[in-house]
Amino acid sequence: MKKPFTSGIFWGILFLLLHSCSEPQDFDQYDDLDIVPAFEASIFYLESPEDLINSLGDADFFSRDFNFDAFSENVFADRVIEGTLTYEVENTTSKPLEITIEFLDEANNVLDTETFSIDPGPTALLQREVAYGNSGRSIEIIRNTSGIRLRGSNLGDSTSTSTLPEPMVKLRSSGEFRVRIK
Amino acid sequence: MKGHFLFFALFTGLCAMLHAQNKQLLYDFGEIPQSLSVNPGTQIDFQWFSGIPALSGISFNAGSSGITVNDIFADDGLDINDKIRDRAINGMNIRDELSGTYQVELLSIGFRGKDRDNFYSFGIYNEGDAIGYWPRDYAILTFEGNASRLGQQFDLSHLKIRGEMLNVFHFGINRRMGKELTLGARGKLYSSIFDFNSTQNKGAFVTNPGQNNILASTLDADMRFRTSGLNELENAEDEGSLGKTLLQRGFFGGNLGIGLDLGFSYNLDRQTVITGSLLDLGFIYHSNDVKTYTLKGNATIEGVEIILPDALADPNSDFWQELVDEIEELIPFEDDTRGYVAFRPTKLYASIRRDFGQQLETRGICDCDEVVSAGNRMRARYTNSLGGQLYIINRPRGPQTALTAFYTRRFGNLLAAKATYTVDKFSFTNVGLGVSLQAGPVNMYAMADNLLAYSNVANAHYASFQLGLNIISWGR
Repeated sequence: MKKPFTSGIFWGILFLLLHSCSEPQDFDQYDDLDIVPAFEASIFYLESPEDLINSLGDADFFSRDFNFDAFSENVFADRVIEGTLTYEVENTTSKPLEITIEFLDEANNVLDTETFSIDPGPTALLQREVAYGNSGRSIEIIRNTSGIRLRGSNLGDSTSTSTLPEPMVKLRSSGEFRVRIK
Repeated sequence: MKGHFLFFALFTGLCAMLHAQNKQLLYDFGEIPQSLSVNPGTQIDFQWFSGIPALSGISFNAGSSGITVNDIFADDGLDINDKIRDRAINGMNIRDELSGTYQVELLSIGFRGKDRDNFYSFGIYNEGDAIGYWPRDYAILTFEGNASRLGQQFDLSHLKIRGEMLNVFHFGINRRMGKELTLGARGKLYSSIFDFNSTQNKGAFVTNPGQNNILASTLDADMRFRTSGLNELENAEDEGSLGKTLLQRGFFGGNLGIGLDLGFSYNLDRQTVITGSLLDLGFIYHSNDVKTYTLKGNATIEGVEIILPDALADPNSDFWQELVDEIEELIPFEDDTRGYVAFRPTKLYASIRRDFGQQLETRGICDCDEVVSAGNRMRARYTNSLGGQLYIINRPRGPQTALTAFYTRRFGNLLAAKATYTVDKFSFTNVGLGVSLQAGPVNMYAMADNLLAYSNVANAHYASFQLGLNIISWGR
């Protein structure tokens, strides 16, 4: 009786191992996997007090081209598919101002321009959202941007002073971008 | 670094199919010489044994406590993105793990000494072990990003992984101390082939409203990723000498460590036995080919900040580079080659067993007027054994426990079978079966775990198997 029992156990295990089964699996589903997170962070911030603007007279109170590699880094540029830049401008000076932002490529060609004209303070906060990608401007602008030209101009006088505390102009900006990881 | 990442990701990925080292089927299975490897104090009656090199003990354990292959890849018509979001991202927690171990015995020999109460054993085995806990906040950040989760702290401590490959050289003694007690001890020399671990991470990443700008991104990091052996293996792979380097590092050319296994068996009465063992109480000191990467510091940034009139002071200032330099200064990413100590995953087994049924004919040399001989203290063997086992392993997120109930049936000296039911974090329905066949001097054994899951392997949280081939003599 022992031998049939012994054989039975072995054949039983073998049967179990060989006839183990699995529900149908579709590993091609991996191709349908989309990993597209959205990241958000501040981009740049400009602040200038009114006394500085006055001291520079009719000249631009700020004008500078500066390097900005955040967008052109391969890890970002190769993967970004769409996004939105959000700007906020706050002017508590006594004069109308204009701020111009230009996105530059490696050769300093202007890819995109954003201009803000702000009335004298007290003004409401000026907010603007600019979309890039699917429903907005070309995402190539973002991908190819490696520098920013920022210019602030005084459109008023250079003598008046606001009665508001610590009068100044502030430009805030942030970006929210969707990047394709898979 | 990229090469290292790929290397350990591959290893972790392979071991992701593996699981947690519990050898509940082999434990206290005295018919099999390899039971000494899980309790050096187990009750054995061999005169000598010799494992067939590379075939005497092969074991793989596989498992995942969170999700299964079927959860993601079942052909069920559901969108894979929904399945990953619901079952992985939102369905798993940081205690869920992917982990596993394999062992391959290269050499295994044992013999009874002149003092017949002593049994000596020695050998070499190769082992790989890895564990990775579900890095929940990293996964959320990867799949969703931070845009919809402003104000949420992403916990950097969720990254917890470790893995290693090593050869173990061991020598042990199993001594019958009297009618009731058998003690065992085994010294181990570890020869590490490679090791990686990142288990002590702290900190968080959070995006909040900024003071000046719209948003402030804060990274508070204290992270460390330690490796040894990976550089050498990477170079060897490039040079086409990976096999040779693996061999060299496995035979004392890498990093060394020492360890100890302890165990006992004690007869409460002639048919009731308690056992216990403590395995891999040891460490490896890594000083050869070590590379440790650290990211430590705290920084809050609100983008490029141009604050006038200060920003006008230097017309050539590079605002972007200044920001990058500031971040790198506040949170430096550094590497060094200082040595480190890595403790082995220590394991503890304990069991109680009740033997009953017919007494079996003894296989050893003895004057067995009584089943328990006073002369050489051979213990009686019975056709049936029933009992329970406890298993605990030390893991990066604390000890893991498994409870097992078992029944062993012996069919003469020809065959023994052990059935187990195990409860642990991976499964409440883990039924296993192991058999040991003694064909003359040839011993063959095979064991498989979580058999109920074989009806749909893809849906199994855990599976394992062990097999081996030995020559055993009882000196008759």
